Amino acid sequence: MTLTPIDWGIIVVYLAGCMGAGIWMRRYVRDVEDFAVAGREMDLNLGIASLAATEMGVVTVMYTAQLGFTNGPAGATVGVLMAAAMLLVGTTGFVIRPLRDAGVITIPELFEKRFGKRVRWLAGLVVILGGVLNMGIFLRLGGEFLMQITGMDIHAKFSLLSVGIDWQFGYLEVTMTVLLTIVLLYTVLGGMLSVLVTDYLQFLVMGLGIVVTSILVIHAVGWSNFQEGLAETHQSGEQYLTAQKEQEKKQAAEVAALRESVGSAAAQNLKDRQAEEHAAMLKSQSAVLAKQGVLVVVEEDKPPRETTMADPYNPFASKGLGVLYVLWQAMFQLAVVTTWQTMISRVLSAKDSKTAGRVYRRTAFYFVGRFALPGLWGAAAFLYFWKAGGLPAGVDSLTAMPAYLKTVLPMGVIGILIAAMLAAEMSTDSGYLLTWATVIYNDLISTCLRKPMSSRAKLFTVRTLVLVIGLFLLFWGLWYEIPGNAWDYLAVTGNIYLASVFTLLVGALYWRGANRWGAMAAIILGAIGPILFLVVNAMVKANVFDASWKIRPEIAGFAAFGMSFAGMIIGSLLGQALGHGNPTPTSSDSQPKEVTA
Amino acid sequence: MSSFGAWFWAIMIFASIAWYGFLLFNVGGKGGFEIVTLARTLGKRDPK
Repeated sequence: MTLTPIDWGIIVVYLAGCMGAGIWMRRYVRDVEDFAVAGREMDLNLGIASLAATEMGVVTVMYTAQLGFTNGPAGATVGVLMAAAMLLVGTTGFVIRPLRDAGVITIPELFEKRFGKRVRWLAGLVVILGGVLNMGIFLRLGGEFLMQITGMDIHAKFSLLSVGIDWQFGYLEVTMTVLLTIVLLYTVLGGMLSVLVTDYLQFLVMGLGIVVTSILVIHAVGWSNFQEGLAETHQSGEQYLTAQKEQEKKQAAEVAALRESVGSAAAQNLKDRQAEEHAAMLKSQSAVLAKQGVLVVVEEDKPPRETTMADPYNPFASKGLGVLYVLWQAMFQLAVVTTWQTMISRVLSAKDSKTAGRVYRRTAFYFVGRFALPGLWGAAAFLYFWKAGGLPAGVDSLTAMPAYLKTVLPMGVIGILIAAMLAAEMSTDSGYLLTWATVIYNDLISTCLRKPMSSRAKLFTVRTLVLVIGLFLLFWGLWYEIPGNAWDYLAVTGNIYLASVFTLLVGALYWRGANRWGAMAAIILGAIGPILFLVVNAMVKANVFDASWKIRPEIAGFAAFGMSFAGMIIGSLLGQALGHGNPTPTSSDSQPKEVTA
Repeated sequence: MSSFGAWFWAIMIFASIAWYGFLLFNVGGKGGFEIVTLARTLGKRDPK
């Protein structure tokens, strides 16, 4: 354990302050509008703090640091694209202006006005499936960060003898359960009002922690060492990969020759032996390989694998990124900032559409730092372990950053960083819990009711839903194993809803010809691409399909958006031709309306 | 190795640190006042 009493003091004061402030806001909650969108009284700076805090979770810090570890600063390209998208939307008011003026609580509510109740319900379901699934890995990743930075084993357990049974509890699971309980307490009681106030506190703590840590990391590495080190590790890593490819070609030729002369069983034996020899070489030569810019990841029950630094400055030439990836991310980020319900709920909580646009413009550059600064820590971690002679056992590209930070941060600063990361986790969890609970109530439950609920019953229902999602997150989130690169996983599961909801929003707000046939087709086709990606890649992993079948995330992403837009256009035209989809006026033409919830 | 890229990312990283530092004080100060105003506005409403 690397924490001192000073670190513990900082953490306890922070947690107590957050909980107190969150519970204090409970007194102002009168109805669902107060609970879900803070009575639409949110002003500019509170909006900036809340948006920035909610969209920066520990999971964000972990995967952006992972991108820095594998791609250097070029891994922050996504952040630059996101900032550009926010600036564009904040300046032009694209989607957010008519959405705020429509006076809705959630995005699917707007769809009812154009496409009818069924589309609203289906869109709500898609939003929930995409959003809650996306939230599934938050707790475990957050817990892994906290365990690594405090120097604890992520599998460490303690036992408790009770009613004659020796109960075994993991420190990670218990820590994250306590954290989520605090978040649930103030979110259930105060809703968006508590979330805004706690987000503000969390924004301050998080900002302080990120700035101090970044300065200390640059100081520890030295800026010129950082830049030269990245260039050197990239070049030597590339040399290793070229030699490795040549060897793999030779070995494949040997396997093919043996298959022809002896048979496929002998060829498979040779292939297995080659893989075993390579794994043994990686394990025994990890220190030598580290000098060549190759870090070997050694984990229990998994074959060792090597990691090299991709082009750290050019995203178009960087391994794992490339031109297509950058183009896909440009489109994806535009969809995120106009469609992701947790971001949009800040737009809907704003005093007016002008304030919403200002919040977006002022928060835009924050998203560059959201990727660039943890990316800096990740890249510095790569250089540290390169110099140190390799990664410790059990540390991989995802956990290298916290394992590195605990070696460079002094007493007190670790406490600030942990408080900052707790802040990041809590603000994201509270914002997401509230948002998804509001969508479930507003679009899935209330649309099925024949008689509207009383104000008190509505409030009770949304509060219960927050609690239920929290419990789901606890059990599903803490026991979920992250498959591969966390960022790609998040991006593609999020695609399930982003592609279809983005198409529906653009259709509803800007195309008079859009109708319910097009909307239905857009939802169904927009979900097929990402689902196909998950299924095919799972089959490749299980060796059912050959590796050449593997679909890259950007291809699945483009396919999802393309299919969804095609569905909207073809479906709407077909609906019109068959006389089933009479177009209605766009929402931007209509007068602002009062909230229906 | 792209020297333009090295410069570009150096600017992005240092500008991010500066921007986070600026927002910390700017939003920190003004956001506090907005919370007080929000609480006053909500507190003045008639109970439903």
